[in-house]
This record gives sequence, C-alpha cells and structure tokens, in this order.
Amino acid sequence: MEQASTLNRHIATPLSTSVPTGKLGVWWFLASEVTVFGGLIACYILTRLGSTGWKEAAAHLSLVFPLLNTLVLLTSSMTMVMAHAAVEAKDSHRLRTFLMVTVLLGVGFLLLKAMEYSREMAQGFFPHTGLFWAFYYGMTGLHALHVLGGVIVNLILLLTVPTATETQQRRVEFAGLYWHFVDIVWIFLFPLLYLT
Amino acid sequence: MTQALTYTHYFRIWVWLVGLIFLSVLASGLLPREGALLVIFAAAWVKAVLIALYYMHLKYERWQLAAVVLIPLLLVVGLAVTLVPDIVIGHGK
Amino acid sequence: MSDMVVAKVADVTPHVYEELGFWRKYVFSTDHKVIAKQYLALGLLWAIAGGLMAYMMRWQLAWPETPVLLFRWIPEPFMYDGYMGPEFYNALVTLHGTIMVFFVAMPVLLAAFGNFLIPLMVGARDMAFPRLNMLSVWVFALASLVLFVSFFVPGGAAAAGWTGYPPLSARAEYTGVEWGLNLWLIALALEFASFLMGGINFLTTVINLRAPGLSMFRLPLFVWMQIVAAVLFMLSVGPLIAGAVMLLMDRLLGTTFYLPAGGGDPLLWQHLFWFFGHPEVYVILLPGLGIVLEIIAVFSRKPIFAYRSIIYATIVAGILSFIVWAHHQFISGIDPRLAMPFSITTILISVPFAFVVFAMIATLWKGAIQFTTPMLFALGTLANFILGGVTGIFNGSAPLDIYIHDTYFVVAHFHYTLFSVTVLGGFAGLYYWFPKMFGRMLHDTLGKVHFWLTIIFFNSAFIPMHLVGVGGMMRRIANPLQYEFLQPLQPLNVWITVSVIMLLIAQIPFVVNCVWSLVAGVRAEQNPWRANTLEWSAPSPPPHGNFAAVPVVYRGPYEYSLPGSAQDWLPQDYEVLTQAAARS
Repeated sequence: MEQASTLNRHIATPLSTSVPTGKLGVWWFLASEVTVFGGLIACYILTRLGSTGWKEAAAHLSLVFPLLNTLVLLTSSMTMVMAHAAVEAKDSHRLRTFLMVTVLLGVGFLLLKAMEYSREMAQGFFPHTGLFWAFYYGMTGLHALHVLGGVIVNLILLLTVPTATETQQRRVEFAGLYWHFVDIVWIFLFPLLYLT
Repeated sequence: MTQALTYTHYFRIWVWLVGLIFLSVLASGLLPREGALLVIFAAAWVKAVLIALYYMHLKYERWQLAAVVLIPLLLVVGLAVTLVPDIVIGHGK
Repeated sequence: MSDMVVAKVADVTPHVYEELGFWRKYVFSTDHKVIAKQYLALGLLWAIAGGLMAYMMRWQLAWPETPVLLFRWIPEPFMYDGYMGPEFYNALVTLHGTIMVFFVAMPVLLAAFGNFLIPLMVGARDMAFPRLNMLSVWVFALASLVLFVSFFVPGGAAAAGWTGYPPLSARAEYTGVEWGLNLWLIALALEFASFLMGGINFLTTVINLRAPGLSMFRLPLFVWMQIVAAVLFMLSVGPLIAGAVMLLMDRLLGTTFYLPAGGGDPLLWQHLFWFFGHPEVYVILLPGLGIVLEIIAVFSRKPIFAYRSIIYATIVAGILSFIVWAHHQFISGIDPRLAMPFSITTILISVPFAFVVFAMIATLWKGAIQFTTPMLFALGTLANFILGGVTGIFNGSAPLDIYIHDTYFVVAHFHYTLFSVTVLGGFAGLYYWFPKMFGRMLHDTLGKVHFWLTIIFFNSAFIPMHLVGVGGMMRRIANPLQYEFLQPLQPLNVWITVSVIMLLIAQIPFVVNCVWSLVAGVRAEQNPWRANTLEWSAPSPPPHGNFAAVPVVYRGPYEYSLPGSAQDWLPQDYEVLTQAAARS
C-alpha cells in the first residue's frame, strides 16, 4: 500500500451526502440556537400570560426605533442573500457591495439599539425596574449580541472572500443562513415586545 | 434562472416582508385586542417562513435540513405547553 | 454518484506536519487525536479533584466535626485546620456534582473517546471542522480555568447544589457566595458552548465523512450512541442557556426572574434545568453503553444481538428522555396533575434501556468469552447498571418518590447508573483503546487488580447507601448526628466512608499502570484484540491523517465467528477472507 505518496496529494474524500459539510454544520448550529431563543421567548410568553401590568410597562417603549431596526434588519437579509447570488454569478463587484451594505446595516441596527437603550435608561427603565423590563433587556440584549457576532463574521467575509477560492466563497451562503436566523428571531421579538 | 431574475426575486420577497410589517403595525393600532394579536402573529409567521423558504433556500433543499430546525422548534413548543400549569395558571400560588 | 461532491479534508500533508513545532503539534493542534488526549487529560485531572471532594464529604458525614485527614492545609476561611463548616460542605456537594458531570463525564466519555474514535471508525482523516475542534477544546480549557478560579474568590466556590436552584442561587446574600457562583455559571456556559461546537463536529463528520461503503447501518454502535447523545445535548441545552442568562441577570443586574417577590418563579428555573438535566444524564450514559457494546462483541467473538433494534431502542429512549424531566420535581410544588404523566413516561423509558441490556446479555450468551481487563470492566458496567436501572423504577413512581426524594436513596440510584456506565465503562474504554491511542499495552494483571478492587469497593459503598436513604437520611446535610432519628444509621455512614476511601485508593494501580505502560509498556501491534472496526486498520497509534489510504467498507462491524470461515473475525475493510488471512 502506498504510504507517504498518497498523503502528499491533497486528500479528497467523497462526501456521504450531497449537502456541503459547512452548510450541514450551520444548520445543526441553528437547531441549537432555536432552542436557546425559543426557550427564552417561551419563558417570556409564559411569564407574561401569568402576570399583570406588562402592557402598561410596554407602553413606555418607543415604536420608531424598533420599526426602523426591523426595516434595517430585513433589508440586510435581502442584501446578504444578494451577496450569495453574486457569488453564484461570480460577480465580485456586486459581492463586495452587498456584503458591505449588510455590514453597515448590521452596525446601524446596533447603533439604533444603543440609542434606544440610552433613551430608556434615561427615563429610569433598567433591567431591575420590573419583570417586563428584565425580559426586554434580556431578550433584546442576547439578540443584539448575536447581531454583533454576525456583523463580525460578515466583516471578515467582506475582507477575505472577494479574493478567495470558490469553495471558500460558499461561506457567504453559510454566514447568510446565520444572518437570516438572527433576522427571524427579531421578526418575533418585535411584535412580542413592541406590538402587544 | 438568470442572475437578474434572482436578484429581483429576492427584492420581491423583501417588498412582501416590509408590507407585512406595516400591516402588523396598523393592526396593532386599529384592531381590537384579539384581532390584532391574530394578525400580528400570523404576519410574523408568514415573514419567518418567507425568509426560511426563499432567503435560506429551504424550498430547494432536501426536507431533512428543514427537519433539523423544525424538531427543536416543536420541542420548545412542547416545553412551553407543559409549563403552562406551573408558570401561567399556578403563578403566584 | 453524480450528486456526490468531493471535499478536501486534510489540509496538512504529512511532511509539512512533521515540520510543525512542539506548540502546533501538541498544544495548538487541530488533529482530532491530540484534541482527544487534551480532553482526556483535563477530564482525568478534574476526576482527581472530584474524587477528593467526595472523600472530604464522606469524612465529614462519617466523623462530623473532626479534622479531615490530610486536608489540614486548606486555609481559612474555607477550612479551619481541617475542620469544615456547613457552608464549605455545601460547596463540596455543589462542586462534586458539577465537576463529575460536566468536567469529567462529558470530556472523557463524549469528547475524548468521541474525538479519538469517530473519525477513525468512519474511515475519515479527521473531523469535519478541525479548527472548530481545536476551538472547542480551548473553550473547555477556559471553562476549566474559570471554574478553578472560582474556588479562590472571596466567598468561596458555588454552594447552591449542582442544580443551582433559586431563590438560594439568585442573590449572593442568600448563600454568602458572590463571584464563586457567578463564575460557576460562566464556566458552565463556556462548557456548553464547547460541547455545542463538538456536537456539530461529531454530527457533520458522521453524516458526511463516512468512508465509501459505510452506510449508516454499518456504523459501530459506539458511533450511533455518540450521535444520539450529541443530538440530545444540542436540543436540550438551549432552554437552560436561556435560563442561565436569566439567573446571571438576577445575580448581577438585580432582576427578579426567579424571585417571587418581584413576580418571578423559582419553578421556572427547575423546569428549565431539568428539561436539560434529564437528557443530559443520557448524554453521558450513551457513550459508555456504546463502549460496552463494542467490547462485548469483541471479547465474546460474536455479533451484537439485534444491532438495528438497539439503534431504534436508543432513538426511542432519546425521544422519551425529553418528556420525563419533571420526575426530578415531584415534590417541589409542581401542579400535581403533572405527576401522573411524568411517572408514566419515566417508567416507559426503562423499556428501551432494558431492551439494550437484554441485547447485551444475548450477545454474551454462548460466546467464547475472553476475560481481558476491558471485558471485566464491561461486564461490571452491565451488572451494576442493571441495579441502578431497577432503583430508577422506584424513583420514577411519584407516590413512592414523595418519600425517597432528596434522600440518599436517590444518591445511591444515580451513582449506580452514572458511576457504572461512566466510570466503569470509561475504564473499559481506556483499557480497550489504550493500545490504539498510545501504542502500548496496559499491564493486564495490574488492570485486573484495579478492576476487582474498584468493583468491590464501589458496591460496598453504594449498596448500604440505599438503606441509609430509606432510613430517612436527607441529601446535602453536613452533619447527620444532629438529628436523633438518623443516629442509628451512623455505622452505615462510617462503613460507606471507609469503602469510599478504599475505592479511591484502588485507583492507584490504574495510575501506576498508565504511567508505567506509557514509558515501558509492551508495544502494541495494530490489532491486538483482533477486532473488526476501522480504527484497528490504522497503526497503533495512528499518524496524522490516520490511514495510508481511505478504507473501503464491505460489511458491518460485528462479523465475528462467521460459520465456515478460517478465523473468528473479519474486519470491515478487508475485501475477501483470503486477504484477511494474508494480513493476520
């Protein structure tokens, strides 16, 4: 049996399924994230249903910031998947543009959130103010941390992918899956906290 | 599918998503409580499904990939339902 | 084959690998075998710590308010010249549980064995994501450091039980422990992150990187057990992560998620904890069962009985494990109407496990048994696990549990199930795969001495514990003698403590064996046990890249004693019997 000579080539193993390994890995990661956010949201819904006075507390939230944030995140989801389309079209210019817009929109979300938090804290609403506020800060805070993580990943992609190999460019799709998930979580947080 | 169509396709989904947001906001302001909740959460689910099917491409993948995230979702719903007697009904007792 | 996508797996070719320095090869390594050994080393170190904590607890229970032998060196305010106060006892109880479950069982059974064996058993050159693998072990090392630091902060280490129930855990002033508990939560969060990353790696590797010919139903049962365990962990830990964030907010930001005075609910934590906690015990159980299955096939020279049914039973048990959790909460104030459904599901879950046990016995039946050390440990695991499973039925029935909950009967139950499968099963795995991992054989006679001492003193310690529990002794109390009704049980407590001390001493032959064998043991051949699974087709120990050529698989993993064949084993990747005869 050949020993070193086989190993000296790039070692290629046929995959057992047709799903690229990176994509499979991201979907399993999303499965665990569904239970994290799902668990937190379930706790919010249950505790709210069993308590009183939350509607009044929620009335102190602004509508402008979260509405803007929702539009920002939805648009960033669109630009992220368009970046993926640009990879498939081998359009390096559009890839760079769409990734940059996605990163900027993500940063915009975080800035708006920070402004919203400071406005609320200036009015005296902190996590310890009441159970509604505890959930509000907990849920949006955890979500914001995930947005930050996504922004960092997208920034790394922006800097490395336009000059990367074809296999490495598939990472745009995988990062997109995570980014869309973060958007979906916000799609539920927005009505749960701000519209009810 | 040409690339031009694909970009347009994603843009069209975006239009639906934005439309549903504004629908939700309107409903929360105009409709009575039960009606508003129904519209708002139906809209949220539709938006989530649109993103999952078209932006995350689940419509074009094998069903097992969707199962990977749907099963945990069902689990969390099961957890929430089981907790209703203790956390909702029994709250404060 | 048109939809098969070819992936580049190992990026580092061997001659480049040889040139890597010490740090890249042994510390910052992406090789799954090195990472496995890093997990193993960390886990075994923590095992020593957890075992010593058990010793200190048992000393206090047997001879309350006397200085613990050999521990006068622990300074104030933790201990006072060897004497411990009840607060320190609480910390010991908490840390013993946390360490054994999260810092011994998980890293050794799941991460070490899983990381080492899964790529080898599926015929891959490494895990699907080698760099993510390295990140996961480093995050685990960070978690270990954080937990270690928590022992030395003012107020001491976490002391609210390994279950960390609020309200006790929700405010620092209730336990007197501030940063100790905060760091405990952070260490656990890091550990969860580490194992989530590991789980993603295990699942994608098994799904996508199997060698040609290796269908899912030709996988060794050890691999099946690992992936079911990975799925259980990944799907159950999320709500607890959410709950831990909430508990940390209660402690650090003054929120009241779990405090009734602020509208919160302590029961919420309990539910979130046990929704994870119950699948978690199966997470640490399944790899050990997988190890036992591998070993009994090899050393009875027989195929596993009902291979596919074992897989189905395990999946059923996994699904059921998500709907039994409130049996830990029967007397905690849950809605009483929840008691019956959870009792029913709990009793039900014993069925698939009983099936697996029966299948193991059927595998052994009329086999040509070879009583090697790994086989002895595997048989010991099986025997003791049955005892543990039986007391599980008692605990699972709500009417009976009302009396035995929070007594030592429960402690005896879970030590029988957990210790037998994780510790005895873990030793079985170590003795069995040591030759593959380190290229040396462990000394067999010393191993047998280790086995007999361990099994005798384990049973000697934990059988009387059932009596102590039924006699009414509560968990987590630091001094049983303060209660008059417990004083007659004290001779049993002393007996248990002496047995535990002997059990700990009995581990010395193992340590000596490992150290000596690593340096001067008999060099292991490629397949010393004449086993069929793919890891034995690689050298002992395997080089970077594992195989000279990616193996092709022709059959299942348990083709032992085929009628009419020249030898009683037939590896998965041997094309025909004559090739096997030529190689043996």
